Formats: sequence, C-alpha cells, structure tokens
Amino acid sequence: MIDLLFWMPVMVAGLLAGASTGLLGTYIVGMRIPFLGICVAHAALAGAVFGALCGCTGPGLLVPALGAASLAAILVGVVDPQSMRADINIVLGILFSLTMGLAFLGLGLFSLFGVSDNEVRNLLWGSLTFCRWRDVGIMAFTAGAELLFIAAFYKEMRARLFSRVLAAAAGVHVTFVWTLFLLLASLILTVNFQTVGGLMIYSLLTNPAVAAARLTRGYGRTLLVSTLLGATSGLGGFLISAVTDLPSGAMIVILSSLLVGLAEIWARLAQRRPV
Amino acid sequence: MSAAAIELDGIRVVRARRTVLAIDRLVVAPGELLAVLGPNGAGKSTLLKCMTGAIRPNTGTVHMLGQPLARLGAAGLTRLRQRVAHLMQLLAPGSEMPLTLREVVAIGRTGRAGMLRPLRSEDWCAVDAWIERFGLQSLASQPYSVLSGGEQRKSLLAMAMAQEPEILLLDEPTANLDAFWREQIVALLEEMQRQRGLTIVLVCHDLEALPRTTGRVLVLRAGCVLDQGPSASVLTPSRIQDLYGPGLALLAAHGRYALVPQPREDWP
Repeated sequence: MIDLLFWMPVMVAGLLAGASTGLLGTYIVGMRIPFLGICVAHAALAGAVFGALCGCTGPGLLVPALGAASLAAILVGVVDPQSMRADINIVLGILFSLTMGLAFLGLGLFSLFGVSDNEVRNLLWGSLTFCRWRDVGIMAFTAGAELLFIAAFYKEMRARLFSRVLAAAAGVHVTFVWTLFLLLASLILTVNFQTVGGLMIYSLLTNPAVAAARLTRGYGRTLLVSTLLGATSGLGGFLISAVTDLPSGAMIVILSSLLVGLAEIWARLAQRRPV
Repeated sequence: MSAAAIELDGIRVVRARRTVLAIDRLVVAPGELLAVLGPNGAGKSTLLKCMTGAIRPNTGTVHMLGQPLARLGAAGLTRLRQRVAHLMQLLAPGSEMPLTLREVVAIGRTGRAGMLRPLRSEDWCAVDAWIERFGLQSLASQPYSVLSGGEQRKSLLAMAMAQEPEILLLDEPTANLDAFWREQIVALLEEMQRQRGLTIVLVCHDLEALPRTTGRVLVLRAGCVLDQGPSASVLTPSRIQDLYGPGLALLAAHGRYALVPQPREDWP
C-alpha cells in the first residue's frame, strides 16, 4: 500500500500535468504541429543555459527558460507560413535546429569554463516522483491560465483549429489569438518539462488527443475527452508504477499509448456497426 | 470615401520575377455581379486575394468598401474581412480533430460576433438556416473530414453565406458540385444579388455557373485584362475560341451560357 499523504503532491501533479497537456494536445494534434513541444523545450533549454552562464541559479533559471520559450512562441506566431510559402512544421524545424544549436553552444561554454551543467539539465528534465506542493502550485496556476484562455477564445481557437487561412478570411483575429496560444503553450510546456519530465509530456501532448479524436466528435467533446484521458494517463500511470514499483514516466507513456490503441479498436468496431 | 464597393488602381503583382497580375483600373459597383473568366494561370485567384489583402500588390492601390487596404493595420484588415466573405478555390484540409460540419459553418459567424463573446442563439439560427438551405441538415453533426468533396464545398459556401457579408468573393464555387447543386448555387447568387444587393465577384471556368444577373464579364489572360463588358458582348464564339481553342462551341439561351465540345471535323 502506498503512503497516500506522502505521494499526494505527486498524484496531483500527474493529474494536473495529464489534464493540462491533454487539453493543450487537442490543438497541437488538431493543427498537426507535434513538433511544437520539442521546439519549445529546446528554446527553454537554450534560455536556461544562457541564464545560468549569466549567473542565474535554482528556480531563477525558470525565468530565462520561459523568456526564450516565449520568444520562440512569438516568432512562430507572427511568421505567416503563407507568405513564407512554407508549412508551419518547416518553420518549427528551422527554429528547433537553431534553438538546439544555441543550447549546445551554451553547454559547450559550460565545459570551457569548467562549470557543472547539472542544474540546467535538471531544470528541464524533471521527474514526477520528485514533485512537491510548490511545483503543484505552479502547475495549477498554468492549468488555470489555460482554462481561462480557452474560455475566453473558445470560438476563435475552434476556427484556428480548422484552418488558419479560412479563419483569417472570415475576419477572425487569428494572429493575435494564435500568438497568445503559443505563449500559453510555451508556459505550460516549460513548467511541465521541469516538474514532471520531457518524455511524459511528449506522450501526453499527443496520445490523449489522438484517442479523443477516435472516441468522439465535435470540438467541445474532444477537448473534454482529451483532458480526461490525459488526467487518467497521468494519475493512472503513477498508481500503476506505485503498485508495481516500475518507473512512473514509463508507465504513464505506456498507459497513454494503450489508451490510443483501445480507442482505435473502439472506433473500428463502431464503424462496422450498422446505423 | 469611395462610392465603389471595390476599386483597384494600377495593380501589379510580381512573383518569381513574373508579372502574375496587372490591372490598370477595375471598379465594381455596390450590388454588381462581376464574373472573372480566363484560362489557368490567368491571375483570377490572385485578383481575389488582392481584394482580401491576402496578397499585397507590388504597386497600386486596392479599396474595399471605401477603405484602402494598404493603410489598414492587422486589426483594421480583420474588421474589413468580417464584411467580405471569400470562398477559396481549394477545399480546406480541415483539422485532425473531428470538428462537425455545423462547427465549421459557424466559423462564418465567429469574426463578426466579436472577441470574448460566445456565439448567440441568433448566430446558431443563421448557421442552421444555411445548413438547411444547402441540404446538409442530416450531416450537421458529422465530422467535416468524412464528407465528400461536394459536401465540403457546400459547407464552405454555407460558411461564407452565414457570414452575411456585403461583398462575396467566390473562387470556383461550383467545383465538385453536381448539375443540380450548380443550378441551386446559381439561383442562390441571383437571389442574393437581387434581394439583398450583395456585391459578388465570381471566378469560374464553367460558363454554366454564370447567373443571369451577371452585370459584367472580365476576361484575364497572363495576368492582364483581355476584355470586359456585358456578358453578351464579351462571350462571343471568337472570344471563346481565342481563350479555350477551337474544340468548344458557345451556346447561349435565356441569359445563360454553356460550352459544348465539338467533333474535331467541325472545328473551324
């Protein structure tokens, strides 16, 4: 039996990370930009590296990490793929390689100066099992900001989810809302990377949304089901790991992948049923 | 303040060192239906994109509803687009998420409803009315991605109409549609122009899609205006042969037009 009181912040963190990333993933998968997570992670890493080189330490590293991730988000938001005649994933690819290059340059400078880069690496590749109430508080704040944003721009994000070009043609303030969304995404991803870890976030960003799209139809329902599946993966994966003593991150990833498989089977069986 | 619905002056669009559109002057009066014809690559879609501000011409000015597009900021352009509906030539690939047909049509009401405000019941009534008008009510809760090409085209037309625009820019609106629905669209355009005084710019290849109320036909070729004027004076057998070669004969009846393939031995 697990010590519920001791593990409570970890369980709440798993639940929050799953729910907020699952909700965010509906848009990321819906717009076919799964590369965004990796791009934001490396921008945050580059920010943290240069922040550390400039003397930032501990939680203070989150500030340059968030700054760099936000800068990358703004760049993606204001670049119009139509005028660049390039797919948004190509824009993300260019930015990803640039931020990775900058991060590696910074890490190279650490060894040049003979300084340890462990603190920087830990900031961005945290572990769910080390989450404490302070981390949960930050995660709850970002999840609340996400809910507020979706409540405020529910219909604009639905239009953007369908097509940036068509939404712009219909007089929707696409660039403004899209850039705000990217800023929010960079905030949620950076916070979740440093509290619960990258591998888990990548899977929660994709799997719940893909499973939700197989199980239901309609914008609101897909958002809700993806959030619930994300929360189930986050909490359920941790509980399985606590009972079996297996790594929590791996259990969360496997559970969320299993949910995609089950959703796919369900969707195929449902298609065979006569109306 | 200009009285014209659309006014283009000295427009030139250059892409990859090629002039894709060059129009000295084009004025569309409020309530006019202008048909734009021309072979592939004539600049028809580029012309519509200039009118929405999606493409900024290298030189010249575009005024829409009296507003100069070049002087509008992003917010101003967005507000103007709420009054101008644009149906594009290519079908939108849509989202990876299963948005329903009703939700897609509702995008037409999204901009005009204003930010931070949900769609009201009258917005949804307008959405449902247009879905019914296009015979899509049984598909309203189906995901857009599972619809046929014709059904997707009708959904996007319903979206444009739900916007209740003052100017309607249509790029091949009858592509993917069967003859029955082509005629329904033609009748709808005639009705919208006559009853609501809607200004319409209609780009099409099929002469069958030209409504009887077409006030003027503009013919483009290689980005330049080849001819313009009333349908009867522009749509002549010699012009059709000039545009599309000798294999097609022009039929005209009751203010409507059609092209009929000719046996090779009858070619002039």
